[in-house]
Amino acid sequence: MPRRGVWIAGAATPIVIAALLLLAMPTVTANREQSSTATAKVTIDNFSFRPQTLTVAVGTIVTWTNGDDIPHTVVSDDGVFKSKARDTDEQFSYTFDKVGTFPYHCSIHPKMTGQVVVH
Amino acid sequence: MASEGFLGTAAPRHADLVLLLEIAMGLALLIGAVLARKGKFRVHAWCQSAVVLLNLAIVVLLMIPSFYVHVSRNIPAKLGKAYYALPTAHATLGSITEIAGLYILFAAGTNVVPQRFRMTNYKLWMRSVLALWWLVLLLGLASYVRWYVPGVFRK
Repeated sequence: MPRRGVWIAGAATPIVIAALLLLAMPTVTANREQSSTATAKVTIDNFSFRPQTLTVAVGTIVTWTNGDDIPHTVVSDDGVFKSKARDTDEQFSYTFDKVGTFPYHCSIHPKMTGQVVVH
Repeated sequence: MASEGFLGTAAPRHADLVLLLEIAMGLALLIGAVLARKGKFRVHAWCQSAVVLLNLAIVVLLMIPSFYVHVSRNIPAKLGKAYYALPTAHATLGSITEIAGLYILFAAGTNVVPQRFRMTNYKLWMRSVLALWWLVLLLGLASYVRWYVPGVFRK
């Protein structure tokens, strides 16, 4: 290869790589936007759900964390979702993909109630 | 959805009912023991038999299903936690006590048990089972408090 050709190839390679990276970046950003999902948290503390009423958008993943030193469950009144007994610091998550109001309770302690409002 | 209890704790109604029934039965056994000391053996036999049989029904219908759902799946792995250890001790000692109570009931009150398997020292058997019964009752009370009374054992 002539000396001039080598110089052109050496200069062009980083430019081509940079161009390819620039082209790829919008795609990566778009993918991140598609995979990001809203999340919300409910804490179980001293035999109560906090917040007792949680309002979220459709598609939100709600995670309950048991902060009590006793097992609790998270059971929908309408049978939409149901967790097994969760010990201290254990979690239960559910994705709300429909609009509506979802009341729930702890099946071990029926006085413990809460609701998730999905809009 | 289980109904709320009536004792002001976080317990469901059936747990409150079982607690009161068990305390009443424990007291009834003490009254039955007094009846025996007064020589009223027929009333004593009816009283103790009724308690042992009623307890058997409660154990089978309410306690075993609850223990299976909430506790048995976590033992022995989580026996280090008081809220699993207490009901497990209650269930183990309670089973022994109920079987011993049924044995006394059949050995002393019927001809079902062959002569060679019958107890000879009635007083020792009955007093031992009565003491065990109250120990089991206290373990049950401790389990109730641990599971259903908020604020007693905060994390």
